[in-house]
Amino acid sequence: MADVQTERAFQKQEIVSLRTKKFLTKKTSTGVRYWKNVGLGFKTPKSASEGAYIDKKCPFTGNVSIRGRILRGMVVSTKMKNTVVIRRNYLHYIPKYSRFEKRHTNISAHCSPAFDTIKEGDIVTIGQCRPLSKTVRFNVLKVQPNQIFGAARKQFVLF
Amino acid sequence: MGISRDSRHKRRKTGGRMPIHQKKRAFEKARQPAMTKIGHKRVHIVRCRGGNHKYRALRLDVGNFVWTSENLASKSRVLWVVYNATNNELVRTNTLTKNTIVEIDATPFKALYSKKYGIDLGKVKKEETEQKKEQSEKAKKVWEEKKKKWEELGKNLFIDPLVKEEFKVGRLLACISSRPGQSGRADGYVLEGPELEFYKKKIEKKSKQ
Repeated sequence: MADVQTERAFQKQEIVSLRTKKFLTKKTSTGVRYWKNVGLGFKTPKSASEGAYIDKKCPFTGNVSIRGRILRGMVVSTKMKNTVVIRRNYLHYIPKYSRFEKRHTNISAHCSPAFDTIKEGDIVTIGQCRPLSKTVRFNVLKVQPNQIFGAARKQFVLF
Repeated sequence: MGISRDSRHKRRKTGGRMPIHQKKRAFEKARQPAMTKIGHKRVHIVRCRGGNHKYRALRLDVGNFVWTSENLASKSRVLWVVYNATNNELVRTNTLTKNTIVEIDATPFKALYSKKYGIDLGKVKKEETEQKKEQSEKAKKVWEEKKKKWEELGKNLFIDPLVKEEFKVGRLLACISSRPGQSGRADGYVLEGPELEFYKKKIEKKSKQ
């Protein structure tokens, strides 16, 4: 539990009350945890329901709902704190030459600590949620590990 | 005022500048922060967008605090600010904001607790057996129903030991959960359990420095 409290304010799940008699008298190390099923057929990872991390922007244990678009992409960067950059590739048609050109979009998505083994090159399913920061409007829902050869930015994978 | 909450002054995600093609609009305006201090109540009413009102507390001295585990709530005097996770400056200037840790007067809660259980908290010298004697003495003066109620409740009695100690000093640690600059109130909850331990550690660490 001490590992969780890294900030200057006490980290807790807003929904769970740690001030009830039941919890205070028990004094167990496990504690009470709130987690939810995000819907749309996505399974909540075990690390979300059994873990101890506190993340208010996590779709499973926090205060965000997944609604709107569901997209898939490849992870390109995991350098940000709790967020990943995802690259979505697509082909754009030029009618004059009846040919396609390669285009891509980068999307920043919030990555819950439940997916702490995420790395560059993984195929990820993200779901739209309310704006979580200036550029983040998506949340990682499912990770499919994937091994790539070379840089993640140079891969062209269509979904 | 001049403060605005637009995104036009910020750069794009790519790093490029946003072209400023329009003036600041009224719907983007922001106001000065309240910086609520402790003192005799002074609240200004602000007319906001849509004709709605915000109660900007500039000075507050009392708040409605709830002792969650006992389900007791009472208006209590806010004494001083003890810890603020955001900024130490706010602690020094005794500024009340949401999630500020303050010390509150414990006497209203002492009274409520004795009314509910018939036990006086914070009496240092008397031991538990003597308190029970007191309780039974009080019970003699009080009618039968209340005596039965106190006996029943007495079976499941439990207070967090840290909170019990606080009663001896006469001041409780509480956390402000309302937004004084928006609602004009400094309401909150009495700290208990793991939260209380956490903040006590932080305060001790600070006082050592």
